Amino acid sequence: MSLEFAYYPGCAAKQVQKEADWAAQAVARELGITLHAMPQATCCGAVSLRESKPAFSLAVAARILSEAEAQGRHLATICNTCLQTLSHANYRFKNEPELLEKINGVITQAGVRAYKASINVYHLLWVITDQVDPALLRQKIKKPLNGMRVAPFYGCHNLRPAEILAAKGGEKADHLDRLIELLGGAPVAYSGHDKCCGFHVMLSDAREMRTMVANNCLNAKDAGAEVMISPCTLCDMAMGAYQKPAEDAVGKEIKLPEMNFAQLLGMAMGISPETLGISRLHVDPSAVLAARKVL
Amino acid sequence: MPVYTFRIQRNQKNGQGVLESRYQEYTLELPETTTVLNALEELKADQDGTITFRQSCRSAICGSCAMKISGRTRLACKTHVETVARNGVIELAPMANQPVLKDLVVDIGPFFRKVHQIKPYLEEGPEKAASVDRTSYDQVNHVTQCIMCGCCYSDCTMKEVSDEFIGPAALAKAFRFVSDPREGQKTARLQELSEAGGVWSCTRCAMCIDSCPKDVKPMEAIVKLRTRGMEKGFVDGPGPRHALAFHQDIQKWGDLNEFTLLQRTVGILGSIAELGTAFHLLKRGKIPSPFPHQAKGVEQLRTIYQLLEKNPIDVETKAKEVVPE
Repeated sequence: MSLEFAYYPGCAAKQVQKEADWAAQAVARELGITLHAMPQATCCGAVSLRESKPAFSLAVAARILSEAEAQGRHLATICNTCLQTLSHANYRFKNEPELLEKINGVITQAGVRAYKASINVYHLLWVITDQVDPALLRQKIKKPLNGMRVAPFYGCHNLRPAEILAAKGGEKADHLDRLIELLGGAPVAYSGHDKCCGFHVMLSDAREMRTMVANNCLNAKDAGAEVMISPCTLCDMAMGAYQKPAEDAVGKEIKLPEMNFAQLLGMAMGISPETLGISRLHVDPSAVLAARKVL
Repeated sequence: MPVYTFRIQRNQKNGQGVLESRYQEYTLELPETTTVLNALEELKADQDGTITFRQSCRSAICGSCAMKISGRTRLACKTHVETVARNGVIELAPMANQPVLKDLVVDIGPFFRKVHQIKPYLEEGPEKAASVDRTSYDQVNHVTQCIMCGCCYSDCTMKEVSDEFIGPAALAKAFRFVSDPREGQKTARLQELSEAGGVWSCTRCAMCIDSCPKDVKPMEAIVKLRTRGMEKGFVDGPGPRHALAFHQDIQKWGDLNEFTLLQRTVGILGSIAELGTAFHLLKRGKIPSPFPHQAKGVEQLRTIYQLLEKNPIDVETKAKEVVPE
């Protein structure tokens, strides 16, 4: 079965979190998933555009979804907030035909193809854990994690609101845990796996954001985690790049390597650390990877 | 019938009056559809009369029996044991983000003080409408189902790290008054709600949407309060400034200009304060380009934006009309 998707990496993966995009492309190639570029796709507007310009945000989403639909493909992303934003719009388009008609009425005047609400929005992680043949995935694992204790950090927008997330979200979601097990690692249970990384209040509530990062990381570490992975470029930024500012804010050392799920998956597949952008991580996972013979 | 293990957090004061916390386990054989509240009552009656918890209506309407059940805050009377058992174990703890008094009972005073902070009553004032038509309740009805159980407050990821944050339930209630045509102080309310600890401190984690036993969707009310606040001109803060930067960038570049986003959100002084963090990010090449990638056909969005500014369309979600029986 060929797995083809319209690929929507999101702004962060094109700029500050490039490594997530590199890793996603590399693992997708190995797993026979074709990620087709979306040259017309813009920023989804995230949580902000829906607040400042509600109707415009739906038009932006419709234009993005329409491009994927014109390719005849479902959309796959690697950013949780893009996932939630586009899923939210798509959920409304599928359930409120009058709303879709109104939005189409506007976008078609600007020369955008009308969106027919026929496609789904997926996270690449869901594709890998639910659509790729597990036997193929196992066969691709060249360097299993040898029992590495990995903390899954799902990120809010991969899970909630459960109602809109194509039945993959919700409290019982376990896809990241399943991936860790498939790679030969041991998922760590800790308080924080479904909590907030604070990214969206990074500037408005700086101290609170850093406390969230510290709490989540320290809970994972206390539960025995050697490394943390997340399926979201924004969570990566918060839990990884902002870990040092979080240490400074709470006055405690954390030093928990955090990486994108595709980076750890790529390492387990034997893809080179350069391709996966491992050197761009703020907390170097090399020692942990070497100790478990993944590096 | 299956056997369930109840792992209950016991919180009791010691001789010095200091609260001590420990877990105690009990087992019960129960039908799968037994409610957690019925199970607790059976435990209290037959095994340990000292287990303390609140309960009243047994019908998910009074909100008294809210507690942490297997990690999430739920109403014990509305939760079947089977749905929350993890390998046969059901963990019970008091609600979070509130002071524990004994076992599963918390002091709900701080929660209700936040509710009082938003003035949960109609006020006289210049914006009071003379007539009320039936469509005006399509916004109010979203949040009137709230029973003030505090589940959302207990699971709120911002409340966990902030005393100041008003919290989801009280903000949802505030939305109810801002949307009520009879309210006379809508703008003054929006101004207050736009201040520190108000609507802009929500992380948008959506935990409250999934925790609410009455489908109130507090976060959706918070999103609408932000929109209404910005429409009234309350845009002086990192939250609204950040939100407003998006539609400019999307029309101009297609993508966010993350390079200038910081300066536009926190201003020049704020950016200087953030410089330490910026240098830290720079070490790993994590500074965005000032000239982001430009999407093909981005001019379409400029046209769409102008069309919508000229002829705005209402896209707000509406509550279903409630017809009295």
